[in-house]
Amino acid sequence: MSKYIEKISRLFRIIKENGGVLGSVRTVFRMEELKTGTLVGEDELGNKYFHNPMYFVGRSRWVVYSDAAGHDYDGSQVPAEWHRWLSYISDETPDKADLPKYPWLAKHTENQSGTPQEYVPYSTTRPKIQAWKPKTEEVYRKHF
Amino acid sequence: MLRLWPLRQVVSSAGARFIPACQKSTAPEPAPELVEVFVNDKQVFVEPGTTVLQACAVAGIEIPRFCYHERLSIAGNCRMCLVEVERSAKPIASCAMPVMKGMKVKTDSPVTKKAREGVMEFLLMNHPLDCPICDQGGECDLQDQSMNFGSDKSRFTDIAFTGKRAVEDKNVGPLVKTIMTRCIHCTRCIRFASEVAGVEDLGTTGRGNEMQVGTYVEKMLQSELSGNVIDLCPVGALTSKPYAFTARPWETRKIESIDVMDALGSNIVVSMRTNEVMRVLPRVNEDINEEWISDKTRFAYDGLKRQRLTTPFLKDANGQLMQTDWESAFLAIARKLQGVEGSQMAAVAGGLVDAEALTSLKDLMNRLGCETLCTEEIFPMDGSGTDFRSNYLMNTTIAGVEEADVVLFIGTNPRFEAPVFNARVRKSWIHNDLKVAMIGAPVDLTYEYEHLGETVDVIEKLAGGNHPFCKVLESAKRPMVVMGSSCLQRSDGSALHFMVSTLANRVKAASGADAEWRVLNVLHRVASQVAALDLGYSAGVSGVREAKPQMLFLLGADEGAITRSDLADGAFVVYQGHHGDQGAQMADVILPGAAYTEKDATYVNTEGRAQLTRQAVTPPGMARNDWKVLRALSELLGVTLPYDKLQEVRQRMAEISPTLVRVGEIEEANFFKQAIEATKAGKTSLGKEPLVPPQQVLKDFYMTDSITRASPTMAKCVQAATEAESSVH
Repeated sequence: MSKYIEKISRLFRIIKENGGVLGSVRTVFRMEELKTGTLVGEDELGNKYFHNPMYFVGRSRWVVYSDAAGHDYDGSQVPAEWHRWLSYISDETPDKADLPKYPWLAKHTENQSGTPQEYVPYSTTRPKIQAWKPKTEEVYRKHF
Repeated sequence: MLRLWPLRQVVSSAGARFIPACQKSTAPEPAPELVEVFVNDKQVFVEPGTTVLQACAVAGIEIPRFCYHERLSIAGNCRMCLVEVERSAKPIASCAMPVMKGMKVKTDSPVTKKAREGVMEFLLMNHPLDCPICDQGGECDLQDQSMNFGSDKSRFTDIAFTGKRAVEDKNVGPLVKTIMTRCIHCTRCIRFASEVAGVEDLGTTGRGNEMQVGTYVEKMLQSELSGNVIDLCPVGALTSKPYAFTARPWETRKIESIDVMDALGSNIVVSMRTNEVMRVLPRVNEDINEEWISDKTRFAYDGLKRQRLTTPFLKDANGQLMQTDWESAFLAIARKLQGVEGSQMAAVAGGLVDAEALTSLKDLMNRLGCETLCTEEIFPMDGSGTDFRSNYLMNTTIAGVEEADVVLFIGTNPRFEAPVFNARVRKSWIHNDLKVAMIGAPVDLTYEYEHLGETVDVIEKLAGGNHPFCKVLESAKRPMVVMGSSCLQRSDGSALHFMVSTLANRVKAASGADAEWRVLNVLHRVASQVAALDLGYSAGVSGVREAKPQMLFLLGADEGAITRSDLADGAFVVYQGHHGDQGAQMADVILPGAAYTEKDATYVNTEGRAQLTRQAVTPPGMARNDWKVLRALSELLGVTLPYDKLQEVRQRMAEISPTLVRVGEIEEANFFKQAIEATKAGKTSLGKEPLVPPQQVLKDFYMTDSITRASPTMAKCVQAATEAESSVH
C-alpha cells in the first residue's frame, strides 16, 4: 500500500516542481516527459542540467533546453563540456572539473544544417554551358 | 594531284572537242557485256573492269580491307583483302584486281583465311596494344577485323630485344591529333589529301618498317576538309584533337541532323552524351556532301557551349542588361509596343534561323501590321528579284556539277563558302575533264581554272559575246554559271545579277543543253537565306534603314548589318537568338533561343532542298525553341498565332510554300526567261570595283557566324592558319 502512496506523492511532487497542472502540461508538450531531479548546473546558453540517480543510468542525467530555443531544440545545442557530463564520459560537471582552456578553442555553435547558414560544398566540375554576360557600360566604353 | 586522264590536252591537239562526261549523259551507252564471276561458287554478273572486291560485294560478301576506300584511288598496299582465286599461284589483292571471265573466287577457303591471319599478325606486330586509351576504341577497323579475321595467337616474341616499332607523333594543327605509332600505312589520309582535299601536304618518308606518314616538315594540314582524315583512318593514328579522351562511341547517342555552318546543308550525325554535344560526324548523302564535311561543320560544336544566352535579359533603369524571367521580358515588350504603329516596326533575320521561326516571326509581325521583314544577307530585289525561285537557287544542284562540262564561278570562293561543293567540283575536274573558269579575285581553289579577270566588265563582255571565253561556253554541252551570294552584297548587286542572268540565258541558248538543263546558279553563304526568301522576306536591310523604326526585332541577326544609328532615337530593340554576339549587345530585351542541335527545325539549302534537323540536346537554361518563344510572345501582344504544335507550324509553312515541307526533295524551278523579261525594267549601272569574295585564304574560313565566333577550336584554327601563312614551309 505504502508503495502506491509513495508513487502518488511523487507524482504530485513532480507536478508541483513543474509549475502546477498547467506547467506540467506545458512541459509534457515540450519535452514529452515529466521528471524530477536536482539542478546541477546551467551553461552559457541557458540550458539547465539535472541529475537524479533514482532513474537508471542513461536516463539519470538530462538537459532542459533554454526557453530561448522554444520547441526548436536539438542535441547540438549542448556545449562540448556539458556533453562530457551528460553522456557519462565523466561524473564531474564542467564547473567542478578542471577543464583546460586554450586560446584556439572555438565557441560552441549548434548544427546549422537546414538553415540559411548551412554549409554547402561547392561544385568542382566545370559547367557544361558557359553563359554570356552582357558587357557593362564601363567595359563597353573601354573596349569600343 | 595530276588529273588521271588529261583528255582535254590530248584531244585539243587533235583539233576536236571531246567531252566524255556529257557524251555519257546525252547518248546512253550500249549496255556492256557483263562478266560472269563465281564467288564461293555463287554466280554473279558484273561489268568488265569491276574489281574482285566489288564483285564479292555484289555477291553479298564483304572482304576485309584497310587501304581500299570507294571514294579514293586504289592503293592495294595493306594486303588485307587477299583472296584465293582458282588457278592462281598466290592469293591476290582483291581491291586492285579486275575481274576476268569465269574467275572463281574463294573468300573463306583455308588459303584465304591463312593469308588474312598472316597479314593481321604482321599488322598487330607493329601496332601498340593501347586500345584502352585509344580514342578509336569501339569504332576501330583493326579491332573489329582482328576479332573477325585474325589469328587467336601471335608469334611476336621480340618485345624484349628490339621492342615494338615506335614512331614520333607529328603536329599537324589544332584539329587532327596524331599517334603515329598506331599507323598501319594504309595511306588513305594521303590519298584523301591529294585527291579530294587537293592539298599535297601529306606523304610518306622512308620505306618498309621505317616508313612514316607525315607532312615531311612540321606544319599544319592546311585544308578546310582536313577533319575527314579522322573518319578515314581505320585505326587510331589520326583522331580528333578537341574530342580526345572525352567520350566512347558506345556511350553516345547519335542523332541524325543537318549542318547550318554553310548553305549546303551537309548531313551530319550529332553524338550526344549527358545533354552535351560530344562531336559531329558526317552522314552519307550522295546528293549533297557524299561522306565529307568541312572542318567548320565538324569542329565548331564547342561554340555551342560558349557565350550562350541562357536567360532572358531586360535593360534596367541604368541601361544595364539584367537577367530576368520570361514573363517580365514579354511584359516589357508588350508595354513598349503599346501605341507603336506597325509601320514603325521592323524585323531582321540572321543566317542561322530555321524556317519555323521565320514563319512565326513573319506571321507575328504581319499581325502587328508590320511589313518590313528583312534578312541580313542581301539579295537583289529589283525587277523579278526573289519572285522566281530560280533566281536565287543553285538550280543545277550540287550533284549536277558531275554532269557539267564547263563551270564559271563569278565573285565567289567556293572552297571556303561551300567546301564540300568545291570538293565535288574538284572530283569532276579530275574524273570528268570539267573545265573551270573564274571571274573575281584569284584564289586557290585546289584545282586549275582559267582566270578571266577580276572586274565586272568581263561579265559584260561575256554576256555580249565579245570575249574569247564565249567560244568555250557556247561549245559546252552542259555549262554552269555559279554566282556567289557574297558578290551580290555590293551596291550594284542587282545589275550584277541581271548581267549574270543574261549571260546564263545566252549560254543556255547557244549551247546545246536540253531544256531541263539549268545554267544559272546562286551559291548562298548562310543556311537560312533560301527559306527566308521562300517565305517572302525581303533580302537586305535597306528597308529598315529607310523606315527608321521605333521597334526592331532581331532574330539571330549578329553580323551587325543594323546599328543603333539606323533606327529612330530611343528605338526599342528585341534580340532573339542563341549566342551573345553583336545583336544581343545592342538589344533592350534578349530572348534566349535554341541552336541548331537543340531543335527540330527545317533548313533549306542553296539548292532549295528542305531538310530537318533533329533535337540532340535540350536548349540551355531557360532558352526555348524559337518558334515557341514567338508563339508565347504573340499571346501577350494580343495577336495569338494560330498554331500550338510543330505540325501546325509546318502546315502553315506548307500554305506559304509547299517546298518547305517536302523534306529532302528539290522542286523544279525553271523560269529564267520570264525572270529576265521582268527584270529589264529596273536596271542600275555596274560598278568598277573588282569582285573580291570575303573569304580568300584559309584563316578567313573558320570564323563566320555567331557559333564559330564563340568556338575556342575555331579560334585556335585561325591562329594556326595565320602562323602557317608566315611559315617558310
